[in-house]
Amino acid sequence: MERISSLYLHVPFCTWLCKYCDFNAYAVLEGLIPQYVEALAGEIEAQKARLPVGPLETVFIGGGTPSLLTREQLRLLLDRVRAIGLRQDAEVTLEANPSNVTAERVEGWLELGINRLSIGVQSLQPGALRFLERLHSGVEAIEAIRTARAAGFRNINGDLLYGVPGVDLSGWMETLETVIDEGIDHLSAYELTVEQGTRLGQEVRTGLVRMPDADSQLEQYWAAVDRLEAAGFVHYEISNWARPGRTCRHNLANWHYRPYLGCGAGAHSMFRLDEGTTERRWNVKGPHAYIKRIAQGQDAADDREQLSHDRALGEAAMIGVRLMGGTPTTGNFLDVRRQLVESGLLIEDNGRVRLTRRGVELANQVGAAFLV
Amino acid sequence: MFTPTRLIRAISVIAHVDHGKTTLSDRLLEYTGTVAQRDMVEQVLDQLDLERERGITIKAQAVRMLYKADDGNTYQINLIDTPGHVDFSYEVSRALAACDGAVLVVDASQGIEAQTIANVHQALDHKLKIVPVVNKIDLPQANPELVREEIEKVIGLPAESVIFASARQGIGTKEILEAVVREVPPPTGDREAPLRALIFDAKFDAYRGVVTYVRVLEGTLRKGVRILMMQTGKSFEVDEVGIFRPERTVIEDLSAGEVGYLIANIRNVRDSRVGDTVTDAARPAATPLPGYRHVTPMVFAGLFPTDTEQYQQLKEALEKLQLNDAALVYEPETSAALGFGFRCGFLGLLHMEIVQERLEREFNLTLLGTAPTVEYRVKLRNGEEVPVDNPDHLPDPAEIESISEPMVTATIVVPSAYVGNMMELSQERRGQFLNMEYEPGDRVLITYRMPLAEIIHDYYDQLKSRSKGYASLDYELVGFEEASLVKLDVLVGGSPVDALSMIVERSKAQQQGRRLTEKLKTLIPRQLFEVPIQAAIGGKIVARETVPAMRKDVTAKCYGGDVTRKRKLLEKQKEGKKRLKRVGNVEIPQEAFMAVLSLD
Repeated sequence: MERISSLYLHVPFCTWLCKYCDFNAYAVLEGLIPQYVEALAGEIEAQKARLPVGPLETVFIGGGTPSLLTREQLRLLLDRVRAIGLRQDAEVTLEANPSNVTAERVEGWLELGINRLSIGVQSLQPGALRFLERLHSGVEAIEAIRTARAAGFRNINGDLLYGVPGVDLSGWMETLETVIDEGIDHLSAYELTVEQGTRLGQEVRTGLVRMPDADSQLEQYWAAVDRLEAAGFVHYEISNWARPGRTCRHNLANWHYRPYLGCGAGAHSMFRLDEGTTERRWNVKGPHAYIKRIAQGQDAADDREQLSHDRALGEAAMIGVRLMGGTPTTGNFLDVRRQLVESGLLIEDNGRVRLTRRGVELANQVGAAFLV
Repeated sequence: MFTPTRLIRAISVIAHVDHGKTTLSDRLLEYTGTVAQRDMVEQVLDQLDLERERGITIKAQAVRMLYKADDGNTYQINLIDTPGHVDFSYEVSRALAACDGAVLVVDASQGIEAQTIANVHQALDHKLKIVPVVNKIDLPQANPELVREEIEKVIGLPAESVIFASARQGIGTKEILEAVVREVPPPTGDREAPLRALIFDAKFDAYRGVVTYVRVLEGTLRKGVRILMMQTGKSFEVDEVGIFRPERTVIEDLSAGEVGYLIANIRNVRDSRVGDTVTDAARPAATPLPGYRHVTPMVFAGLFPTDTEQYQQLKEALEKLQLNDAALVYEPETSAALGFGFRCGFLGLLHMEIVQERLEREFNLTLLGTAPTVEYRVKLRNGEEVPVDNPDHLPDPAEIESISEPMVTATIVVPSAYVGNMMELSQERRGQFLNMEYEPGDRVLITYRMPLAEIIHDYYDQLKSRSKGYASLDYELVGFEEASLVKLDVLVGGSPVDALSMIVERSKAQQQGRRLTEKLKTLIPRQLFEVPIQAAIGGKIVARETVPAMRKDVTAKCYGGDVTRKRKLLEKQKEGKKRLKRVGNVEIPQEAFMAVLSLD
């Protein structure tokens, strides 16, 4: 099996579940955090013995709201990570809710070796934050960025949402402008997506909420593309921008189709087996079930799938083509590529394919074309 | 098993849909011990899966029951179940011709409905003795007394002859059987006369060939006899005669008045036509039985495999289906848009749906059907006359002298409240008013002369919806009539799609073209490009709509944990596209080819 050098840790706890979120996250289970952290530490240790993992180049602690964890809890997890082997120059990211980014906490995170902070800003417009049911204010979000920077973080990401009902182009640009002014290093800007099974999904279905039309969503997207380019950001994935040298190495590893290990409730892993088969597996979703499995010394995997070499190539292309710099053609998908180029969705040069502007707008059509 | 003629009865059960015909038939089989209760599958008589699901009978069935009556005699009662749809009205008439009586079932809460009256008319046309039954008397909303009065007032059957029953609970079963043996006359045919047996159905059995359902009206039919089909002139030697109890049971002979089947190494149902008369080749009857009609398809449509590789399978499936369905005809057809397929002829729309559904279900095919059309007769300037059952094959207008289309007499039975709606609809559909009669019980019988093409375009559904389901329809082909017709072509993405062409009345052509393009716009999904949809008459564009290009299809997030879900989602989208037919670079769904059916 190919050696694994990326690790994802999932912390599925939140103080509040925002109405648009369909991640594996739970409110009102905070009482479970101590046991969960024990289990998660246990899984890391167990996987180290089972899999060819480390030395690690990237670690990503996501959620949920991992910034809810105490310094001691994070220390336990990172001690286990170091036991696997962590490169000196490794990227170690923590996702944080603006409300949790206090001077004291930030200092602790730096001390533990966390060197990249991803802050859930979402928006600076009061109306949007209310609509999204975020508990922080715009001022708090700005404060969070400043606090982290002052303490010494040199790699800060802000997560933003556009296409939020009630926010027009100028409101969206105002948020973007402010965040740029704060000297942010990296931005992820996502279109607000209506997922089934969320409260937002329900509200849209019953007509309580009307989402902006495709034209205004794209208008906000392309305006961000232009503004961020002018501000010196590199647009490197459909929804991601970075100042030079600040791309997210962990996510790039995913997008370059490199194997990774995911630990925690509902976490996904991807391995490359010796015969060229790609395997994906995912852990049980519920924190209770997860804790029980680990306590009983069992593997937390709930299910797995294996992809043949050909299917994996298609999947790799589906993901890789979302990178703005494109992906190598590797001599495959001759007909598909030709059709996509003819349709004006793809550009092919120097052995690479990348999306055209229209291709970005229809990236799923392009991705689907590569699936066999 | 010899039964004297005076103890033979042949009956059918007739009813408005859902009034309990099948349940009652099941109870009769059970009560007479023909089928043991433990072997009773719900609805024994409806054999095809499709029939059971749709609650309609497609093929006739005929079961012999033995019933020991209160008078001490054991009667032979033959129960013939009839198909229940206007597409099969000829089959119904032949099945009724094989009976001497009918059990009329009326729902105790619904009362008499349009179809009840149509059924009674048919039964009376065949001089059947009617045994009226009010069914479902156990339901809370039942009002049997009222329905009994209605039967006397509307149909003219004495109230005291009406039997109260609940087929579900087995109430009244014995009374019905007693009334049948008492009221329905025995057959009158002479057992020694030259053989005359009426074919009322035929089925193909993979091992034995065609099983022909007959009622012997005169003479005797037995194994070894050389028979002659009086209409087709074909001759066969009888291998086996038998009856249904309800499974096939071999017997010595079928004599005058009896109902059963014959097997005679007949390889195709075409040689055993419904309505034909079976006689003894060595001692033929002087005249065939009356009422034979050569059944011809009325409605034509193309059937194409969605996956071109399934052409051969479709061909074999049609061959097999045709062995059992004399009304189905087909010939190879090539469409520039849809590739290789078959032009098929059907009795009507239901027949068409059933055939397509059976092909897909029983032979595992994925088919694309084009909109049904009728057969036109085109007179050319050079004096030749050609039949055209595919709009795309209409000759160049410059060569056409005239076009005639098939006409029908349509009979609608409807409560008087809906007469206005019915007339409005029929006039919209180029109907010529013929007659209107008020019947007892607030029923009106309206007759129109109208083009068959109008009937197959959603007329029946409209009739039902504009009468809250009360109207019933029957129609009969009455000949051809010249009309001012033109071909309307459809271009999708700039190229003509032959399978979307239709023949329409000249004065309505532009309007139809507009409606069709509007409808297609809603049915053709957005593609990567803008897709123009145009309607043209003789090269001149008369209507245009545009399907805008797909605007946006992009997922915001794609991280490690999202990949499997995203891939599965895209794979599912891709799978859905397989049901679309690619014409040029445009993907068109099946519904688009049926769009012309519902342009109102």
